[in-house]
Amino acid sequence: MLNAMQSKNRTINLFYVPALVLFAFFVVYPFVKGIYLSMTNWNGYSRSFKIIGLANYKNLFADKNVRRAFVNTLIYGAGSTVIQNLLGILLAVLLNQKFRGRGFVRTVIYLPVMIAPLIMGYIMYFFFNYSRGALNDILKLLSLAPVDWLADGNRSVWILTLVNSLQFVGISMVIYLAGLQNIPGVYYEAADIDGITPSKKFLFITLPLLMPAITSSVTLNLIGGLKLYDVIIALTGGGPGYDTNSLSTLIYRYYFGGERAGYASAIGLVMFVFIMIVSNIVVRGLQKRQVEL
Amino acid sequence: MKKVFTVVIAVLMCASVVFAQAAAEENPTISVWVSGAGSQVEVLKAACEDFTAETGIKVEFSAPGDTYEEMMKTKMASNDLPDVFDTHGWAVVRYSDYLMPVNDMAFYKNISSQIIPTVSKDGKTYVLPFDMDLTGIVYNVDVMNEAGVDVDKIKTWADFEAACEKIKAIGKTPVTLGGSSGVTVGWYYDRVAPSFYYTDETNSKAADLKSGKFDPKPWEEISAMLDRWVSKGYLNADCVTGDFMGDITAISTAKAGFDFIQNVAITMGRANVNPDGNMGMMPIPSKSASDEPSLISGEGVALGIWKDTKHKAAAEKLLNYLAQPEVAAKVCTATGNVPALTNVKVDLGVLQQYIDKYSDVEAFNYFDRAYCPSGMWDVMCATGQDVLAQKSGAVAESAKQMKSTFDALWGN
Repeated sequence: MLNAMQSKNRTINLFYVPALVLFAFFVVYPFVKGIYLSMTNWNGYSRSFKIIGLANYKNLFADKNVRRAFVNTLIYGAGSTVIQNLLGILLAVLLNQKFRGRGFVRTVIYLPVMIAPLIMGYIMYFFFNYSRGALNDILKLLSLAPVDWLADGNRSVWILTLVNSLQFVGISMVIYLAGLQNIPGVYYEAADIDGITPSKKFLFITLPLLMPAITSSVTLNLIGGLKLYDVIIALTGGGPGYDTNSLSTLIYRYYFGGERAGYASAIGLVMFVFIMIVSNIVVRGLQKRQVEL
Repeated sequence: MKKVFTVVIAVLMCASVVFAQAAAEENPTISVWVSGAGSQVEVLKAACEDFTAETGIKVEFSAPGDTYEEMMKTKMASNDLPDVFDTHGWAVVRYSDYLMPVNDMAFYKNISSQIIPTVSKDGKTYVLPFDMDLTGIVYNVDVMNEAGVDVDKIKTWADFEAACEKIKAIGKTPVTLGGSSGVTVGWYYDRVAPSFYYTDETNSKAADLKSGKFDPKPWEEISAMLDRWVSKGYLNADCVTGDFMGDITAISTAKAGFDFIQNVAITMGRANVNPDGNMGMMPIPSKSASDEPSLISGEGVALGIWKDTKHKAAAEKLLNYLAQPEVAAKVCTATGNVPALTNVKVDLGVLQQYIDKYSDVEAFNYFDRAYCPSGMWDVMCATGQDVLAQKSGAVAESAKQMKSTFDALWGN
């Protein structure tokens, strides 16, 4: 009997093999290779390079471009998460009401999600452009002086955060709509009987019961924001200078433009650890607040 | 019966594989990758199509545009390069380990002696160069006339700034520089740096650079000059976020006086923006009056053959075909550059008079290609953008970052 069970388990375990092989080939091997390369001075294409130990990691902490990219990455991650989720909940609550044209409004808000972030970046480039941009055309109509919106690095970081948030707010809205529709009506009926105000209903019924949805949405937005790449490349290219780079775009620039693949690998590994820690802390924090229906 | 049938099928399959391989050898498909965009790419693509029609050898032509360098670096890393590819100024420093010498090919004897040193190492020449990028500063003739500027009297950067002041006085933009991609600001440094580092033989730092020593002081002066131009309003208002086409539009419609784009600004401006654009090219001023103005010269469009190609004969045939005077001339006309093959004669239109006029002016290779390790370009562009944006401390920081990156890439 035991042998039959073991044989059956062995057969079942065989089905894991293809997935494990793929995982090992596409995730584990590149990861280990990345650790190795991070300890070299490889330029990204040459056949020869030297092992330089932890020098790349040492330089990384003294590099002001890395520090700037790290702060930007935090802003992209946290900023996008806050904006997307606040707007997402607001829109979900509004669009959970019954009114004419509700489906149309939901579609319009979700539509930007379907556009590639790179394309979104190019569209926004022509919105914020100094000489041909729509925003400056509006300013001219109002007899105001045009502004070179993307010339200032600090402002550009917030513009990028906003563009990313507005593009993907549709995802948060859909997650919250699903969450809202899963909350049983009896809770609200009971609250109505007790004479609870709408704001208290939201705070004490809706929000706690939305926690699983909040966990999903926050995690998705946070990871998306922390590894923001395409829209930066299209809208600012990481500039002016290195001012709007995220860690992802900085890795790309150092790897290809700067021909410092070893150094870029070291930044990549630090970024991996950083995203893992932040995501874990946030997810654990949110999971503790979840309530069972 | 079944056995016989199986054997017949097996024989047929083997034969088809052998014949297919033989046919592939006879009419192979070779991959050709080129950088850049616009008319020069179109000309090369059309030439490859004509080559296919004439020889039956198929060409998979690819022009990835902005991502060309990144894709080539990935291909070099995996040692899987296109059979024929464009070296875009880096035939020796970056690509020579991956190219086969062309010294034995028919066109070699026609390569101009002026370009041979740029595309050769240890006596081996690695590419078929179509043109030489002989360039200075492009200007709008009408703007100069209106402002009363005689470009032939601009000998030093101080003269250049005086000219900018006159252009500003007539309400035009003295210098157009679209820094959004960083490329045009990189071209500014490439043009200005020789006059601060080595055009003056009495004070040349060329030997130091070649031996891995980078003096950041001249670089700081170059950045300070750019910063001064921004402060004095010599640059376009959107110099940080403007783009390449914006520069070409401004220079060819007489809205700006000078630009730091290659001669292609003249050909593209006249072809795509203003057919009557009245533009010229002048030498690059020197730092001091004791020195002379100079020009920039370098590798233009150049194609080489991957040393491990499986289609060597076909690739050589293609290069020989493209080296024919009538084909190579079209490439030079598209780029607006001087032919790099002595048997190619091209009338460069409005540019020709300037090429003839300045034929005695000494030309130097691009600063980063000649004296920097590969990988400096991005830092030149990015730190230049900071200067354009007038960030606090950007001038000193540009020199500091150039020095640290130079040292890191040199392994100092």
